[in-house]
Amino acid sequence: MAAHTSKAFLSLGRLNVSGFGLHRSVNRIRYATLLSTNSPSGNKGLPDRGSRGAFARKPRRDAGEPRTEKMAVDQDWTAVYPAAVPFRPSSVPLPVRMGYPVKGGVPPEKKGNLELIKIPNFLHLTPGAIKKHCEALKSFCTEWPSALDTDAKCDQHFPIKVESREYLSASPSVRNPSARIVHLKVKLSSLNLDDHARKKMVKLVGERYCKDTDILTIKTDSCPLRQQNYDYAMYLLTVLYHESWKTEAWEAEKTAADMEEYIWEDSPSQKNILDTLVRMKVAGEGEELREELLRRKEVQEYKDSVTRLKNEGESESAMLQYREAVKKILNL
Amino acid sequence: MATYMALRPEFCSLAGILAGFSHLGRRGLRACRCQRKCPLIRSTIPSISSSSFHMAAVFSSTPSSVTVTEEPDTLLQKVSLLVKGHDRAVLDSYEFFATTAAKELGITLGKISEPLRDIERLTLLKSIHIFKKHRVQYEMRTYYRCIELSHLTGCTAQVYLEYIQRNLPEGVALEITKTAMEKIPEHILEPMWKDPSDDNPI
Repeated sequence: MAAHTSKAFLSLGRLNVSGFGLHRSVNRIRYATLLSTNSPSGNKGLPDRGSRGAFARKPRRDAGEPRTEKMAVDQDWTAVYPAAVPFRPSSVPLPVRMGYPVKGGVPPEKKGNLELIKIPNFLHLTPGAIKKHCEALKSFCTEWPSALDTDAKCDQHFPIKVESREYLSASPSVRNPSARIVHLKVKLSSLNLDDHARKKMVKLVGERYCKDTDILTIKTDSCPLRQQNYDYAMYLLTVLYHESWKTEAWEAEKTAADMEEYIWEDSPSQKNILDTLVRMKVAGEGEELREELLRRKEVQEYKDSVTRLKNEGESESAMLQYREAVKKILNL
Repeated sequence: MATYMALRPEFCSLAGILAGFSHLGRRGLRACRCQRKCPLIRSTIPSISSSSFHMAAVFSSTPSSVTVTEEPDTLLQKVSLLVKGHDRAVLDSYEFFATTAAKELGITLGKISEPLRDIERLTLLKSIHIFKKHRVQYEMRTYYRCIELSHLTGCTAQVYLEYIQRNLPEGVALEITKTAMEKIPEHILEPMWKDPSDDNPI
């Protein structure tokens, strides 16, 4: 009877916690009936009720021995902590201390320690538990093809790289709008492009092409879903490819200023050097045609050095090469 | 040239498997996992493309309900996890968990680095009215951990990432960068203007 009474009073605070619906209703009934017949049941807590009012405290049940006393050393820990649960000091047989130490003392013990409850614990993910989980998950994994062990082979067979991101964080919403962005990277050397198509492609994409790494990056974020952005990126790549193979009528009007790299033929440098050589020959004896002059080795070397200077910019070795070529051509 | 058509097992989501197992109760492990996973079904599930999730219609009584399809598996050259949290110790533990799980599942680990932390500090007035000379300062620290994995298939990545994400501790954020690699599609292999007399289609 005493047990029933205590249970009934206790059920006041614990109705939400217990999951037993049937017991809940039974307790409620018990409480209602007991309330009317209060005085006959003489219990130690009841006299306090009159003096303190609504917050009379029945002595709690004894907690009993903590579970840690009964734990065997070789128990199955995954049965104690199978899921992510806040820290329970009576279930963890470790003498853990956490918190700021008392003056001249040690950090507080684990019993009733809020710091240990606040911090996320990994007691459910011990190495043994991870092994068990992975054992069960292994059957759903597939092997990586063994022939693709180096990055070079991957690039050779699978040149298109599609990069996307996923985000996971605690927030009111599961979704993150940045997850729709797709980056498509491809090396132009792996596409089937001829010279004209390659130059046209580079001109079409502009900033998206990196000359050092020869990678074209297409970033799409205009559609709301990742799949749509991926499809759009592939569509853009297809259109760029086919457009760059086309030769329009107005492309014939390409001037020297539009050229991507310096071409020595028909340039002022060629005219100048040929004029100089012709005048040198005239000053000497015999006349050589310009074409024969062009075919001479020194002229070719001079052409290489000037092209290198113009295309790669000025550097020690380029300047030295130019100097040697000029010395040879002018017989200095 | 060898074609890399890996047979891709149907990956039924973990929740689905365990719902099927809940009435088995044969092994303690399964029952434990059921307890662990079922309350977490409501937790945040990342935006994995649903086109690759095919729920198997039949849950047989045997534990392995893996069906194999002929669809070629995606190949991920690199998967990079960036974990952000307020506490370095929590990130250490999570890194241990992620690396152990990767080793168990046979995934090659790349670099594990710790980018520099960020501290955002605020200086606010201590009192609601006047007392400008007395302020209080708060700071928010964000620690980072970057784990790189390489050479994963689509199925393995799904399994591993779902496992990692379900066990992400509270207050920790995760950002996953996946680099998938693909062959050049057939329509880009050759230009379509083979015959110059054709009109230009779009």
